[in-house]
Parts: sequence; C-alpha cells; structure tokens
Amino acid sequence: MPETGKTRVVLPERIQRGDVIRVQVVMQHPMDTGFFRDANANIIPAWFISEVRVRYGDAEVARFEWTSGISKDPMVAFQLKADREGLLTVDSRDSRGSAFSGQAEIKFATT
Amino acid sequence: MADEVTTPRRTFLQACGLIGVAVAAEGLTGASRELAAAVRVSRPGPDDPPIPNEIVQRIFDERFQGRPITRGHVTLDMPAMAEDGRYVPVIIESDLPMTAEQHVKSVFLIVDHNPDPLVTAFHLSPLVGPVAIQTRIKMKRTSVIRAIVETSGGELWADYLKVETTLNGCG
Repeated sequence: MPETGKTRVVLPERIQRGDVIRVQVVMQHPMDTGFFRDANANIIPAWFISEVRVRYGDAEVARFEWTSGISKDPMVAFQLKADREGLLTVDSRDSRGSAFSGQAEIKFATT
Repeated sequence: MADEVTTPRRTFLQACGLIGVAVAAEGLTGASRELAAAVRVSRPGPDDPPIPNEIVQRIFDERFQGRPITRGHVTLDMPAMAEDGRYVPVIIESDLPMTAEQHVKSVFLIVDHNPDPLVTAFHLSPLVGPVAIQTRIKMKRTSVIRAIVETSGGELWADYLKVETTLNGCG
C-alpha cells in the first residue's frame, strides 16, 4: 500500500477573517485491529494511527488520541476559528512509528 | 324521483368522507412529525448507564478520577442501527463555550463493548470552534456509546446512546 499515510486537509473554498470553518482531514491507513485474520488464517497484526496533531501556524490547536477503533481510512472533521492566515498542518504517527503529514493553507478571500 | 334525491346525497356524503379522511391523514402526519422530533430530542440512551466491565472502569478511574458526570451540553449523534460495524458514523456536538477563559479541553468517545473501549480522545484548544466533531468508528457489537466532554474547569458533561450492530467491525 504505497499511499499509506497520505493525508488530505480539506478547507472551505472561501474563508474570511473570523469565520468558523469546517476542517476535514482524510487519511489513508488500514487501521488494523490485530483481531482479524487473512485468507491463510494468519493474524493481521495491529497497525493503526495512534496520534494526530493539528497545528495552525506555529500553535498546536488540537491533538487526537486514536486507537484501532477508528475506521479504516480515517476521516475526522471539526470546526476552527480562522482568525489569521497560515498553514494548517496535520501530523500523525502510527503504531509502527511511521510519521505522516498533510497541510492546507488558510488564506482569506480578498473581496 | 327518489333516485334523483339519493344520488346527490350519496355523492355529498362521499365527498365529506374524503375530506374527513384527508383532514385525518393530515392531522396524523402532523402528529407523527412532532412525535419524531420528540424522540430525537429525548435520546434513547439511558441517563446514567452502569459501568459494564473493568476495562471501562479503569478508563473512568484514569481519566475522570471519580468526578461526577452530568448528562447535558453534549449531543451524540449516531444511527440507532449501524449496519456495518466497520464504519459507524459519529457526530459529537456541544454548546459549551470555546473562549480563552473557558473551553472544552477534551472529548472522549467510549464504546462499552469494544475490545479497546476508549476509541478516541480529542484534546482541543480554544481556537477550535464550537465542538462539532465528526468521524467514523468501529463497533464489535451492540453497545452503549458514551461521549464525555471535559471542560477547562474540570467539569464533565456527557451524552449516551445505545447503538445496535450486527456486523462485527473489530474482529
């Protein structure tokens, strides 16, 4: 799965200063629980994203503790107060120690 | 002659009957609409579901240290019947303020009968807008779901739902 860890951060098309915006994060990850078996009856080992950190510019605005109880190819959406322009970065780490990252730019509409 | 009188009378009565049925039907749908709204407001989950096992008890001890948890200020939205336990949509909302002085610090989602009941915890700063978190989780079997919110002042608010599922999403 070459795309494992791919992180997309989706923002509204048009943002104005002070808006409360919906931020949607979509990741690619198997989120294996370690309880399922493959076709040859071998246990598929647990492998899941355990920590997600959201940074807005330099400030950390949210941190998520995850387990394998989050569905495969995780999706999470939340609201954010867009009070300044800057990068919104989503960093995550999985149970094998791999790190992933995705970002989107918060830029205010000029008109 | 008699025929001419009865026919319009019957037509009249039939017309009245139809109108009556139409009014009754309208009244009925109106009532059922109100009923559905009432059901949606008063969530079907129990008010203070008992702790089902030691794993959940340990989570409560670690995270809440026996502090009281009150139902309110949190709305947990999930399907009453989740067809696929691998993908169960969840929406957690709260009307609690998100200001520098007072904000929702953490949101915990506990599925009583999952192997790992504390499915996720979201830790938030005041820059996060009013709490409206949406995600998808796995469920092993029919279970009580708890959405518990901790404020910066240490208060705990919650909402509970019972969600049924047939397809095991955890293994």
